[in-house]
Amino acid sequence: MAEAKKDFGKRLREITFKALKATIKGVLFYGTYFVLSTFLTPISEIFPNFQQAIEIFVMIYILFIITEELTSGTIFQCFFNTARALFVIFYLIFLLKSGVIGMTFQGVSLIVDLRLFLVIAMLLSLLGLAKSMLQAINFLNEKAEHTRV
Amino acid sequence: MRIPIRIIGTATTFLWLFLIVFFVSAAYSVKDVSFDIGEPQTDITSDNRILFSLPVTIDNRGYYSVGSFNITTEISDNEGFIITLGSTFIPAIERGREITKTHNMTIDVGDLLQSSQDYLFNDTELEIHEIVSMKLAEIIPVQASTNLSMPWGAPLYNSTLGEIEYVAHNQTHTRAIISISFENHAFFDLTGSILIRMYNSTNAFLGEGQTAIEAPQDAHYQGHVELNVPIAGISGNGYFEVYFLTPFFNFGPLVAPYG
Repeated sequence: MAEAKKDFGKRLREITFKALKATIKGVLFYGTYFVLSTFLTPISEIFPNFQQAIEIFVMIYILFIITEELTSGTIFQCFFNTARALFVIFYLIFLLKSGVIGMTFQGVSLIVDLRLFLVIAMLLSLLGLAKSMLQAINFLNEKAEHTRV
Repeated sequence: MRIPIRIIGTATTFLWLFLIVFFVSAAYSVKDVSFDIGEPQTDITSDNRILFSLPVTIDNRGYYSVGSFNITTEISDNEGFIITLGSTFIPAIERGREITKTHNMTIDVGDLLQSSQDYLFNDTELEIHEIVSMKLAEIIPVQASTNLSMPWGAPLYNSTLGEIEYVAHNQTHTRAIISISFENHAFFDLTGSILIRMYNSTNAFLGEGQTAIEAPQDAHYQGHVELNVPIAGISGNGYFEVYFLTPFFNFGPLVAPYG
């Protein structure tokens, strides 16, 4: 009975710690976005849907950060990690398309070539994807070792 | 394996942070890059072309240098015939620097008349296609383009030849005086001469006369040309061949019937 109570207390502490960590990470991420978004105001005036697209991205990304943190120590963390990396890749492709953005603003046709940014972002996302794969392999490996012992 | 994974994670986070901060600051610093286009000036080149000079000032108060700054102007007529194309390139504008460069374009009126002679006699509009391109922080290519229209003022607008006035000269010849008028709507002063050749109804050449013209910008010109013509050759009708000889263009013959 005392053992079960002790185990429950340990698990509660663990979950509270995970939730706290997830909250801190989410707040930190949102704080970074909040600071950077003030610099993005001139762009938002030119590209009307830019702010909305970034906000959706930030919302989903924070959701991934929280779920990843809550599921840490389980195989689901690797799944969410992979999903997050894939989300970044596909969202960037959806948002930037070929990387050349064109629009008309007050009679002036504007073209911004973000291909370099897209390539670097893709490579970083692929690195994130590779990291999640390695994490999954490591997790299964460690679990197999535990089972054998 | 945990340490390499953690290293990859940390490195990725830092690289993401660096990438985002760099691109956001580069985009933000655009607002501190200002362009100013001064009053356009016209001049005449040594080969009698019209030179348009446009002083362009770029003040870079942003965080990064601006690279490969290029301004291209293409002037064409309503049918797409390219009259002139001018380009100005500045390799780099370092941060905190202000650069003024003159964007030059030359127009050869002779070439313009090959497209249409209407440019001499009728006011019209010319299309301007303006392209400004640069590399923000020397790596993000940005291009802005716009279409404008520019009024073209005809140098010989409302050009008319008056009635022939005959003044007795001697027993065989008479002096024919032909008045000529036009308005110079062009953005340049017109100087040169007008040559008129007179032919009778049987296409026989009767004589020619020339007069100097000086029509400042936006001025009305009124003058006359005197010709010595044989009395025997004069018929009730015929035609004139009119030639305009100026430093910017030579035009003729413009056939104008009389009688």
